[in-house]
Amino acid sequence: MTNQRLRIILWVLVGIAALGGILLALRSPSSSSETSVATIGGPFILTGGDGKPFNSARLNGKPAAIFFGFTNCPDVCPTTLARLVKLRRKLGGDDAMSIVFITVDPERDGPAEVGSYAGLFNAPVIGLTGSATDIERVKKQFGAFSQNVEQPGGSYSVDHTASVFLMDKNGQFVATLSPEEGDGVALDKLKRLAV
Amino acid sequence: MLRRLTILSLLLLASCGGQGNSEIAVSDAWARPTKGQAPGAVYLTIENKGGDADRLTGAFTDHAAMAMVHQNEVVNGIAKMRMAGEINVPAYDKIEMTPGGTHIMLEGLRAPLKTGDDFDLVLKFRSSKDQTVKVTVRKPDDQ
Repeated sequence: MTNQRLRIILWVLVGIAALGGILLALRSPSSSSETSVATIGGPFILTGGDGKPFNSARLNGKPAAIFFGFTNCPDVCPTTLARLVKLRRKLGGDDAMSIVFITVDPERDGPAEVGSYAGLFNAPVIGLTGSATDIERVKKQFGAFSQNVEQPGGSYSVDHTASVFLMDKNGQFVATLSPEEGDGVALDKLKRLAV
Repeated sequence: MLRRLTILSLLLLASCGGQGNSEIAVSDAWARPTKGQAPGAVYLTIENKGGDADRLTGAFTDHAAMAMVHQNEVVNGIAKMRMAGEINVPAYDKIEMTPGGTHIMLEGLRAPLKTGDDFDLVLKFRSSKDQTVKVTVRKPDDQ
């Protein structure tokens, strides 16, 4: 009787171990492939164009396209933001997605600068800045790069990540949008984002 | 005989005149609107109708403290903006400056650029004479 009981207990233990093993085997590959992508983004608090704190939770509820740039950037940054506005209209209108511009030049870009820059596109664009520390933290969260480069004449330009980060309505990173890819691919990505 | 010589020399003069003469045509010059202290970017098309290559050596305007020819490139996913130096304009060819590539950056604008405004920009070339072009402030075509 005790022998049989022990046997049952042992079998149950074997069963649990096997089940655990199967679960581990099933989970580990998917979780490891997800972590690299899942770590991009995350909650942040920066400063809006109105000078008030902006909590990234406000972006939840619809997809967001997040772009790192600077307001002294006369070409690539407005070109990228104008393209996003155009793609968003094709996607279904100005309400279909948030477009977020985060400065990588907090030294020159205060709330007033990012606010007026975001207003250049005749469509809603959220301009964000923060302290140098805040910006560094958010850059790190997104794996975004920037570096100041001296220009002749004493001023400087900023090299920065050219891609846009696409987040779903829950703030999860989905894909990047690069300036080289055509509007067709970009629009497909955005459509997938909106699902 | 004399008449023949005159015609010949005139023909020779005419063919010489082609070189260094203005074979450059600048068109479709426009700039995006700007706000605040932000710099502007001018895009334009330079056409070389002559048989000799020329080089754009600089740009000047009274509308901004500085006008610089800039080139953008994306290297390993990083957007970089650099002074372009001189821009080669090959014979019978044209250079089209479009958003995301080459542009003339205006730093220290006297006033922000507003849609509908226009201002003069002078382009300097190595061989051809200066070209003054009217830059119109407008949104890009597809926006």
